[in-house]
Amino acid sequence: MLTIKDLKANIDNKEILKGLNLKINPGEVHAIMGPNGSGKSTLSNVLSGKKGYTVTGDVKYFNENLLDLEIEERAHKGIFLAFQYPLEIPGVNTNIFLKTSLNAIKKAKGEKELDAIEFLKLVKQKAGELKFDEKILSRQLNVGFSGGEKKKNEILQMSILNPRLSILDETDSGLDIDALKIVSEGVNALRSKDSSFLIITHYQRLLDYIKPDFVHVLINGQIVKSGGSELAIELESKGYETLS
Amino acid sequence: MIEQLKSDFSKMTENLKFSESNTQLRKKNLTNFIDKGFPNKRIEDWKFSDLNQIISSNIENLRFYNDEIDVLKDQTSLINKFEHNKIFFTNGVISKIDIKHEDDAKVLITNDLNLNKNTNETNPLVSLNYALASAHTSIVVKENYSLNKPLILYNITTKELNSTALNLRINIKLEKNSTLKLVTIFDDQSQNNFINITQNFDIAQDAILKSYKIDHKPNSNIKYFYNNINLEKNSISENFIFSTGSKFIKNEVNCNLNDQYGSAFINGVINLKNSQHHEIKTNINHLAENTKSYQLIKTVLNDQSKGIYQGKIYVDQKAQKTNGYQLSKALLLNENTEFDGKPELEIYADDVKCSHGSTSGNLDEDSIFYLMSRGLSHQQSKELLINGFLMDAVEKITDLEIKNLIKDMMGAVE
Repeated sequence: MLTIKDLKANIDNKEILKGLNLKINPGEVHAIMGPNGSGKSTLSNVLSGKKGYTVTGDVKYFNENLLDLEIEERAHKGIFLAFQYPLEIPGVNTNIFLKTSLNAIKKAKGEKELDAIEFLKLVKQKAGELKFDEKILSRQLNVGFSGGEKKKNEILQMSILNPRLSILDETDSGLDIDALKIVSEGVNALRSKDSSFLIITHYQRLLDYIKPDFVHVLINGQIVKSGGSELAIELESKGYETLS
Repeated sequence: MIEQLKSDFSKMTENLKFSESNTQLRKKNLTNFIDKGFPNKRIEDWKFSDLNQIISSNIENLRFYNDEIDVLKDQTSLINKFEHNKIFFTNGVISKIDIKHEDDAKVLITNDLNLNKNTNETNPLVSLNYALASAHTSIVVKENYSLNKPLILYNITTKELNSTALNLRINIKLEKNSTLKLVTIFDDQSQNNFINITQNFDIAQDAILKSYKIDHKPNSNIKYFYNNINLEKNSISENFIFSTGSKFIKNEVNCNLNDQYGSAFINGVINLKNSQHHEIKTNINHLAENTKSYQLIKTVLNDQSKGIYQGKIYVDQKAQKTNGYQLSKALLLNENTEFDGKPELEIYADDVKCSHGSTSGNLDEDSIFYLMSRGLSHQQSKELLINGFLMDAVEKITDLEIKNLIKDMMGAVE
């Protein structure tokens, strides 16, 4: 599904990613762990197309060069980034935004767009599955949401848009244990043989709830070690020091 | 211009057979205007909008009276979303009054071109308005009466009317414990007119005024819209200004909170493109204890347009426990746009709560990235953000029908 070869990314003449290699197959859950400043968020930004980076290397997503696609084209083709800090958008109703988003993706895929009633039905169902209070959806997008509500809102968006590759950028940060459970259950419910996940995190805690197939350690812009889920536990006890 | 003005004035007084006293009162105002002329940027209140220069560069051979155009008798309403009372002003003259939804002993509408009040007006445009008023309408809402439906004032100009100044005066009196929802809306089919409207409001104890000014259809006219609002004890004035259609418009609101527990709200949206130039100027005078004012103005500027907000809160030394708030936010979407903000607080009491703020900037790139990462195009993301930005002010409108009307005009996504 995704093959990254020798990916380098610069911002303001500073090299953040220094030749990163990674392969994700359909149905796999990969976790990337690493200390602060190792390039974790840069990787998620580059994969979702954020402007401001000078990028070299080769990223194949199915048969396309991912780096050639615009931000919204990547979304249309099934890439989803759950933000570490979801933005507050004043004046924009959450439901209206979600419907616009879903229909933009459906339109790009050549599928029939949902009308208001079909959409509300879908939202009701997904919000129910995630134990997400629907009332919040009639409020302005993320405005005045608590940290946990913002993250749950990201997962709700993910479940409605039904992506093929979901990138979760430190989704666990700022979550209490109950919210963490709900968010993890949401992610687990979306796991299937066709959909893949790239989970970026500082801590092993999230991986207690979402069991990854592979764990990679990102240090100083490169993946220095890869392994199975046991690697996360090892890191939690030994820290990153021994690897750098 | 002065020769034209004088001869048009004589023609008007003769044609309309004004009484001697009326003519004299009007003449006094005319002289006051002639002494000062159209305001220019050397006057502090007009430093961001040089009206003299704007008029001379946009209107050739401005005329001040036109008696050649027939007044249309049947007018179609611009608004059909809800039932309402209507008054039509066509080319500066009342053409139709329809208040069928109301008790006509409770809502009195008269039009009298006889001015009977001696004024010492210092604003030259208000003087001009007095001197040349072709409509002088008075609306009185009697004690304890609330209108069943909104009253819409349609200001229409027709194609035949070009390069002419129009002056309209409207005096509105809300007696004790009465309520009025008023919409003033423009339909400009003419070009290069100077339209000068003065509205005076006297709001008695416990009365509520909701006044919405809508300038939404693109047109090449130059407008000055002056509101003077007097609020008595425990009365409320809610104002909303939707400013997006005209080539130039300056909306000026002067509001006097004369007695305790009065509240004044002025919210507005300026949304411009091309070389449009719009200004909102407010003056809120807290003259008694426990009065409240609130202002939120949102501006979006495209192309090479220019937006201005000058907002002043004055607190008299008697006006303890005043609560005054104003905030102006502007989005400049192009480097050729200009926004000027001048917030002012002048406070002589010591136990007050007043705040003001003004920001201007571009759209937030991170917000655009967030929306695009959900599949929206750059254009869609921009529109959603701009709409959301403006909606913040529109949401302040307390009348649902009128709020929805304005949302529709903005093409808001629902």
